[in-house]
Amino acid sequence: MNIAFWIISAVTVLGALLAVTLRNLVHCVLALILFFIGIAAHYFLLRADFLGAVQILIYVGAVAVLILFAIMLTHNVTGTEGPREVLGVKWWSGSAIAAVLAILLKKAIQGDALSAILPAGAKAHSSAAEIGKALVAGWVVPLEAIAILLTAALIGAVVIALEEIRKSR
Amino acid sequence: MNYPGKGLVDGLAVTARNFVGSYFYTDRLTTVQYPEERVQTPENSRTFPFLVFDESPDKPRCTACKICEVECPPKCIYIVMDRDEKGKPRQQPKIFDIDISVCMQCQICVEVCPFESIKMDNDYEKSRYGRFNELMLRLPDLLKSNEYYRQIKPTEAAAVDAKLKAEAEAKAAKKAAAAAVAAAKAAASPPATPPPASPKPPEGSAA
Amino acid sequence: MEKIYQLLHALLPSVPVWTVWIAAFLIPIGFIFGVYLTIFAFTTLVERKALGRIQNRYGPNRVGPFGILQPMADGLKILLKEDIVPRAADKFSHFLAPVLIVVPGLLVYLVVPVAPGMVAVDLKIGVLFALAVGTVSVIALFMAGWASRNKFSLLGAMRAVAQVVSYEVPTVMAGVAVIMAAGTLSTLTIVERQGGGILNISNLFVIGGLAESARCPFDLPEAESELIGGYHTEYSGFKFALFQMGEYLAGMAMAGVTVTLFLGGYMGPGSGPGLVGGLISMFWFFGKLTGMIALNIWIRGTWPRLRVDQLMGFAWKVLLPLALVNIVAVGLWHFLTPRPVAWVVTTGWLAIWVVVLTKCNAGAALEKREYRYI
Repeated sequence: MNIAFWIISAVTVLGALLAVTLRNLVHCVLALILFFIGIAAHYFLLRADFLGAVQILIYVGAVAVLILFAIMLTHNVTGTEGPREVLGVKWWSGSAIAAVLAILLKKAIQGDALSAILPAGAKAHSSAAEIGKALVAGWVVPLEAIAILLTAALIGAVVIALEEIRKSR
Repeated sequence: MNYPGKGLVDGLAVTARNFVGSYFYTDRLTTVQYPEERVQTPENSRTFPFLVFDESPDKPRCTACKICEVECPPKCIYIVMDRDEKGKPRQQPKIFDIDISVCMQCQICVEVCPFESIKMDNDYEKSRYGRFNELMLRLPDLLKSNEYYRQIKPTEAAAVDAKLKAEAEAKAAKKAAAAAVAAAKAAASPPATPPPASPKPPEGSAA
Repeated sequence: MEKIYQLLHALLPSVPVWTVWIAAFLIPIGFIFGVYLTIFAFTTLVERKALGRIQNRYGPNRVGPFGILQPMADGLKILLKEDIVPRAADKFSHFLAPVLIVVPGLLVYLVVPVAPGMVAVDLKIGVLFALAVGTVSVIALFMAGWASRNKFSLLGAMRAVAQVVSYEVPTVMAGVAVIMAAGTLSTLTIVERQGGGILNISNLFVIGGLAESARCPFDLPEAESELIGGYHTEYSGFKFALFQMGEYLAGMAMAGVTVTLFLGGYMGPGSGPGLVGGLISMFWFFGKLTGMIALNIWIRGTWPRLRVDQLMGFAWKVLLPLALVNIVAVGLWHFLTPRPVAWVVTTGWLAIWVVVLTKCNAGAALEKREYRYI
């Protein structure tokens, strides 16, 4: 546990905390982006560089943008109207559930449950070439299943958009 | 032969030819490098008035008749007639101020001047650093020679010169005609009795 | 960076390790800042002069001889301008957006190799890093438009985000084809392995790169005649300069990555390890980079900009299918062993698909119209 781990963890946790306590929703998303970058830094620290780069590419480049678009559709983005949600009843009950979940996860990670799922000889750091080989050799069925799922989602999106266009004509 | 993207490639060829050609055929470049060069303004363009003199700046055509001051719509002209020591008006302006921050270049002063003495200039570089004093053109700034007028507006100046010459000739002709008539009258009628040859009292000429 | 660290440590063994480490850290960064920011400054001047010549006029020629000091004058002017922040603007986002645009643009230069062995950071995932970091600028575009509290800025930002996100896909796919052919993600290794016929995919990458950095003919988000200024309407002074800088740096970064992936990086006659070879390699690299930037400027002066629906249609209906077709073509080329057969099959496959896609998208083109003046 070197100093880099503590610094990166501090930044990550700070990002997560800001994401749930800030009033302005756009600022919350920015804090969430900080959190994502922190997680990517953790991946780099664990020598899983492919995963770190893909984390930035997908989460910061696409998911965060999606969340920003979704937030724009809500109506109280600046958080100035309505009662203050932070430190209210809902907030405390959500935090309690999150704390319980965190304890359960810690027990699961520190225990032996995970090593039963991982194949033998799995290293913490694996290069992109090894991930690629694993994807097309051992894990090709889940890969194709995900591909079909994504295609279905794309086609669904296009169908919904087509219906809207047809309705508006 | 039409391939997808042909228009794009042709466009690139045109701009490349333009780019390279601009170094060899500089007459295609339309830039006028101000202030080293200036665009030639057309003859009819006008900015602010100026006063014309024929031989020297001491004798402008202007007689300070004040018609232009009265007719000017925004009242930007201020004229004071020059008077000699006795107070008799010399037909010349002592003060002739035009405030070019007020002047609207309507040319009415030019149209009403009976002496062809105020004309429109086409000098546009009138920017100054002050707003009040510096934008007031006084008599020395306004006096410009007829040569200058001929240079900036050849056809107009030629017309004005012709008109003035015709006027002068008409006046001379009338004077000559009047003198001829007077001479004829003097010659036709019997000569008036000459005054007596007696020594006249000397008129003030002390002998 | 490790190489510099080792070199310095070998030269000065008495200096403490952390000093050497910091020096090894600062030298490549100083190089990037010095070289690329200077190239940026003079690119602005060269662009203005070249566009002027294309448009039958001189570019700026007043400030120094041939206008050489114009970038300094521009920099001074923009530093002295008042920094206006709209009263209703979101101050934090308004401040952060220009920063977030410049930083990813600069980060890409870390993985662009300039000479054999001379890359700032030799990542095993170099290409992926470059592309990933390029996508972070999307957030900055959105933030800029949102923080200005201006409907038109927001619309411009939405269009810019849509454009960048849509063109990322064919760009990454074109990069994937190169990665497939080279077998590695490290930019240094890709340059060393070039020599095969991979020029046919550079078109896709060039187009994608152009669109990602929002340069003409895809500069709808930043065109002054469209939506006033798009997402950077409400910015003035140095923040506006940072937007321009981020955009130019992104464009040059894309040019640099294109040179690395498709045009052979620093390879050329005379390049090789060693001091002289290294200098010649740098000369080749910067020459090719200048060529790509010149191509960008040429395209900017020539082609009209695309309308936003034409833009999106082009990305999804033409470039993305072509990118997928290209991946198949690279696979075919890789696996068909006699080279002439591979050339013929690949070229035929690509040609068929280009024709098919042109025919399929021809419905969007305008037919010849007949005008009647009654």
